[in-house]
Amino acid sequence: MNDLALMRKNLFRKPVRTILLAVSIMIAFAILGVMLSFNDAITNFRTLPTRMVTLSKINFTEALPMAHYDRIARTEGVAAATHMNWFGGYFGDQRSGFLPVFAVDPETYFQVYSEDLQIPTEQRDAFFSERTAMLVAEPVAQRFGWRVGQRIPLKSNIFTNNTTGTSTWEFTLVGTIPTPQGSSQTGSVLIQYDYFNETITFGRDHIGWVPFLTTSAERNDHVAQAIDQRFANSADETSTQDEATFNKSFSAQLGNIALVISLVVGSAFIAILLIVGTTMALAVRERTKEVGVMKTLGFSSGRVLRMILGESLLLALLGAGFGLLAAMGVLALMGQGGGGPQVNFAPSVLLWAVPIALALGLITGLAPALQAYRMRIVDALGRR
Amino acid sequence: MASLLNQIGAVTALNIRSAPQRAMMSIASVVAVALTIAVLLFFLALANGLAQTVKGSGADDVAIIIREGSNAELNSVVSREQLSILSTGPGVAQRDGRPVASGELLVIVDGLKRSTGTNANMPFRGIGQEGLSLRRSVRITEGRMFNPGTNEIVVGAGLLREFSGFEFGKTIRLRGTTWQVVGVFEAPGTVFESELWADIAVTQSLFDRPNVYQTMRVQLGSAAAMAGFQEWAKADARLNGLEVMSERAYYARQASQSTQGFLAIGSVLGIMMAIGALAGALNTMYSSVAARASEIATLRIIGFSGYAAFFGTMIEALMLSALGGALGLVIAFLAFNGRTTSTLGAGFTQLVFQFQLSPGIVVTAIATAMIIGFVGGLFPGIRAARQRPQLELAAQ
Repeated sequence: MNDLALMRKNLFRKPVRTILLAVSIMIAFAILGVMLSFNDAITNFRTLPTRMVTLSKINFTEALPMAHYDRIARTEGVAAATHMNWFGGYFGDQRSGFLPVFAVDPETYFQVYSEDLQIPTEQRDAFFSERTAMLVAEPVAQRFGWRVGQRIPLKSNIFTNNTTGTSTWEFTLVGTIPTPQGSSQTGSVLIQYDYFNETITFGRDHIGWVPFLTTSAERNDHVAQAIDQRFANSADETSTQDEATFNKSFSAQLGNIALVISLVVGSAFIAILLIVGTTMALAVRERTKEVGVMKTLGFSSGRVLRMILGESLLLALLGAGFGLLAAMGVLALMGQGGGGPQVNFAPSVLLWAVPIALALGLITGLAPALQAYRMRIVDALGRR
Repeated sequence: MASLLNQIGAVTALNIRSAPQRAMMSIASVVAVALTIAVLLFFLALANGLAQTVKGSGADDVAIIIREGSNAELNSVVSREQLSILSTGPGVAQRDGRPVASGELLVIVDGLKRSTGTNANMPFRGIGQEGLSLRRSVRITEGRMFNPGTNEIVVGAGLLREFSGFEFGKTIRLRGTTWQVVGVFEAPGTVFESELWADIAVTQSLFDRPNVYQTMRVQLGSAAAMAGFQEWAKADARLNGLEVMSERAYYARQASQSTQGFLAIGSVLGIMMAIGALAGALNTMYSSVAARASEIATLRIIGFSGYAAFFGTMIEALMLSALGGALGLVIAFLAFNGRTTSTLGAGFTQLVFQFQLSPGIVVTAIATAMIIGFVGGLFPGIRAARQRPQLELAAQ
């Protein structure tokens, strides 16, 4: 019987106790997985250091005149610029069918966001050429069961369609955008700006914001200043920021999410640490006599220490593994539930979970392991 | 029966007096329950504070008119013509021969969140001359109201607490025009405290939205006039596509929208942590039963019943979790009850509110703690009651 088998046997000698401990560890890691995935989804946008965005200085919901776009695109240091409008879109029910729909200028949009848009050329060309074309992120198409070629009616909670007098537009789904690698974003819906602009009843020839690429990241500040100065003291002043700053301020609007997450995850782990730590200590204490016997048989103190630490590590890793699986399950369930937010399990959770699991295993096992390490055979066998 | 009670009392006393021997495990279990309850209370108090603030904003005798289907003011439109028709409706209160009504326009401007230094959406509301008197809870506490027709702003005290950029006396540039903050108003426990107000006509022209209104507020003579006013508006074809409701109903709807998310997160986390704490409680109680195996066996042999053993364990579990629940409540009261915070509200603008515990929430928390205690005592209790005394003692 090797040491690992002995550790396993020891761990499961009281199966109810071990399962209860594993469950509480599992819960803590499930909470960690879900919370960090949420945090990742709202803070960790894929950004490029050279990508910046110009928006209204008053607030990003204020539209800018179309003329701003040409001026920004011609600014020195700007490699490529595009523009986007918020459509206020939803499919079916206003609350459960919410969709982030953006009216974009197709060709320039593909220049500025090329690395996020890995789609077949014919789908791209269809989006460029068909006025009513629509591209959707793959998870969105899956959620509603849409197929390429289908006509999809989308509603806007802001605009009215002047061809029908209703708030509904019909778009042709010409392609789906795969979720970029390493992204937990579940993506958006893209429609053509020209079609949008011609059919809205108000707000025509205005754009929401202007994302652009600079020729190099060192020039970012210079370019931002040049753009904002150009529109200073006009009716439509601008604020130009790099993409990361803009995204950060956007998610900060929801509240101090990082603090809430660390509070909740922190308290879950303190509770688990206490429960597992005290139970492990008790479990090893119960085995005092055995430790004495093992030492009598010639097990070195170091080996006994390693075995007890190994046992608590095994427990922590087991619980953590199941907890992360549970987190994936919870996130998948929320996504399917329709109304719930769509969040994918963020691979970056592992960067936190693995060291935390190791630390948990070591900390909870350390005190009982040291106790067993120091224990003298005489005391061990004499103690009841 | 009396003897059973006596027995239970004796066993419980025994359990509790021997609890210090298992101090670490008992404390671990109490702390686990306390943290669970504190997290649960955090989200419930958050949702409750938000709901109370939004709900508390509405009056029964003020009608609010928005475009049908608009879930927020931002995407509502009411025309100037509709505005003047509405102010002639039945039951509309009059002052100095003019209807008490206010057509309003909400635009969003950036403020700076004090705690993070990041931009945040501030609601900038253009209100009519009667806008102030339509909101009875509002008092100007510093400076004065804006003068109609001028670029003057008054700012809510709640907004000032959480965001900077609109301090009293400050001059602000918006759309190439200077605005002056001439007053601060208070409206405790309402959404209005998170807003900036200016004259409607000036707002329309300077934000380039000529003659655009999003909502209208109308003061009715009494709350009883609401139904009649709604009927009348429904019957008029020129008011088609508009929705008339009492301000209270409007904010109650918004409150449920804004709080659903927090309640959902809170209950999912609460349930998860409760399961974790339950696992801890079960472990503690199982070890308590195991530690006292020979005591229980001795008691059984001298004539104590299995029920006594069961209730002794159950009462110990309930007491530990009650202690945990109480500790959780203390944490909640000290750490966050009454704290001010802000989040993105239904109108896509920041809303300032306070964490607020309520008797209902406290009861929920205590009930959760007791359920953890009950289940945590049930199975170990059954094990204690089922122990076979002779076997236990023979094993020693």
